[in-house]
Amino acid sequence: MNTPVALITGASRGLGRALAAGLAREGLTHDGQTHERLSLIIDARNAAALQEAAEQLRAAGATVTAISGDVTDPAHRAALLRAAEAAGRLDLLVNNAGTLGASPLPALADYPPADLRTAFEANVIAPIALIQLMLPLLRASGGGVLNITSDAAREAYAGWGGYGAAKAALEQASNVLAAEELAIRVWWADPGDLRTDMHQQAFPGQDISDRPRPESVVPAFARLISQRLPSGRYRAADLMPAGHSARRPG
Amino acid sequence: MGIDVAPAGAVRPQRGQGLADRDPDLADFVLPAEREAHDPPEARGLARDGVRLLVSRRASGEVSHHAFTDLPGLLLPGDLLVVNTTGTLPAQVRTAGGLAVHFSTAQPDGTWLVELRQLKDKISMPNGHGHPGQVIPLPAGAWLTLQDCATARLWRARLSVAVVPYLLRHGLPIRYSYVRRDWPLSFYQTVFAARPGSAEMPSASRPFTPEVVTALATRGVLIAPLTLHCGVSSLEAGEDPYPEPYDVPPATARLVNHVRASGGRVIAAGTTVVRALETAARADGRDGGVVAAAGWTSHVVTPQTGVRAVDGLLTGLHEPRSSHLRMLAAFAGPDLLARCYAEAIGAGYLWHEFGDVHLLIP
Repeated sequence: MNTPVALITGASRGLGRALAAGLAREGLTHDGQTHERLSLIIDARNAAALQEAAEQLRAAGATVTAISGDVTDPAHRAALLRAAEAAGRLDLLVNNAGTLGASPLPALADYPPADLRTAFEANVIAPIALIQLMLPLLRASGGGVLNITSDAAREAYAGWGGYGAAKAALEQASNVLAAEELAIRVWWADPGDLRTDMHQQAFPGQDISDRPRPESVVPAFARLISQRLPSGRYRAADLMPAGHSARRPG
Repeated sequence: MGIDVAPAGAVRPQRGQGLADRDPDLADFVLPAEREAHDPPEARGLARDGVRLLVSRRASGEVSHHAFTDLPGLLLPGDLLVVNTTGTLPAQVRTAGGLAVHFSTAQPDGTWLVELRQLKDKISMPNGHGHPGQVIPLPAGAWLTLQDCATARLWRARLSVAVVPYLLRHGLPIRYSYVRRDWPLSFYQTVFAARPGSAEMPSASRPFTPEVVTALATRGVLIAPLTLHCGVSSLEAGEDPYPEPYDVPPATARLVNHVRASGGRVIAAGTTVVRALETAARADGRDGGVVAAAGWTSHVVTPQTGVRAVDGLLTGLHEPRSSHLRMLAAFAGPDLLARCYAEAIGAGYLWHEFGDVHLLIP
């Protein structure tokens, strides 16, 4: 039997990189004891940063296929499918790659439509297109789709109209997908505010060092994936396993 | 009631076609028409949990008669009842052209296995027609394109829209001729149904009510879920069930192993649960208990394969020569099973999805 395979987009930095490292390290721990190894397929737009992330994962013992490219590019998505087909299976697709849109965040009144379109391309259209490509493999393995979302999809944060509207669309697409697909899990999960480049972009010039590191929420996602919890929306804060409570400093 | 009960002698070991040829020890029998449940128990003046429960014990060879509501007392604290959380789809779509299409099983490539049937007086019969490439118009502007024959009876086909939401809006529950009228979908839903996906109800779970589940919990019987989406049951006699999507979650796999290691018994609520657990018991290629597993299973449980992960089975009463009987024989052995069916016929039990149930324990 082949090793299970996970595809994580946007894995050169931030949450994607932390998730890749966590899954490579922990594998799938269904029973908390035995660790089933996992092969990774990762992508990112920045080839150099992706190679560096891949080498670090390999140094930690992971089997990694790294393909640089932009998830909004159909040819790149086709290359990801070829990698999964070459691996012989796909058990998990993490749609983590995304874009904030314009920075600093403009009010909707001033939001350039071209930037809105970019935000929807990367945060909605690309993940759905990637899911479409991977569905036959995911169905065959009884696998899962994890779409990374944000509380900006639900709350009315001034300035977050473009990103928030796109994430809200991704959430509803996930919701419908879960109703249409019998044999896979569909999760859409909010990691909470994290100390990432994207979060810094949203608050340019501000000190965000009070936000937790992306590594801190990996146990929550590992639990969601390993325990194959039912399809639905989750918040990382609610999924922290006992003994891993992610306390905010102060 | 003047039911003409067939004598126990109606159950006789005989060599028929199909299964009996492959398993010469498995009793074949004749099912008298009076033994078919034509209506839900609720229409017969009973509560949903008011059906009868036949119990057979393999070690002692004892067969006894109970009410379904006796189930909690028949199980022991620390036993684990594993239930199927699949929901029944209204999987039949009737066309203006007098066809009934039964949607059986989703395939990984997005196609579905479907059966084409001919409608007559709201009852459908098998229909040998259809050809590859044929496009069948369905209500609300959907199109079904036949690809190729998957089995003697089932086509591989693609619907122009997402199947599950379409069925939820435009489908009716599948019904065979022994049921006299259409019943709403709620009559085909079990108390455990959480994930719609089955063409037909996993009927062993039909008698469960919140009261029975509460009594089980109070008794100390553990309950754990899995999912297996059932395809249509209208197999040719002797035909093996085809692959079905299943999902044994990690928490359930761990609990099965824990209970068996502690001396408790794992009781499957339905043949679908046996199929899923026995698949999961073989998924890692070792004999180390049940592991979490999902995908499509083509595993068929027979006396030859035996059972590795399940000790007991709660199930309905099955038709002669159905593949289910081979699974039951893996639990009870052919002689005890033949005796159970003789007693069930003699004592007036009812068959099919609205009928009585049978608990097979060690």
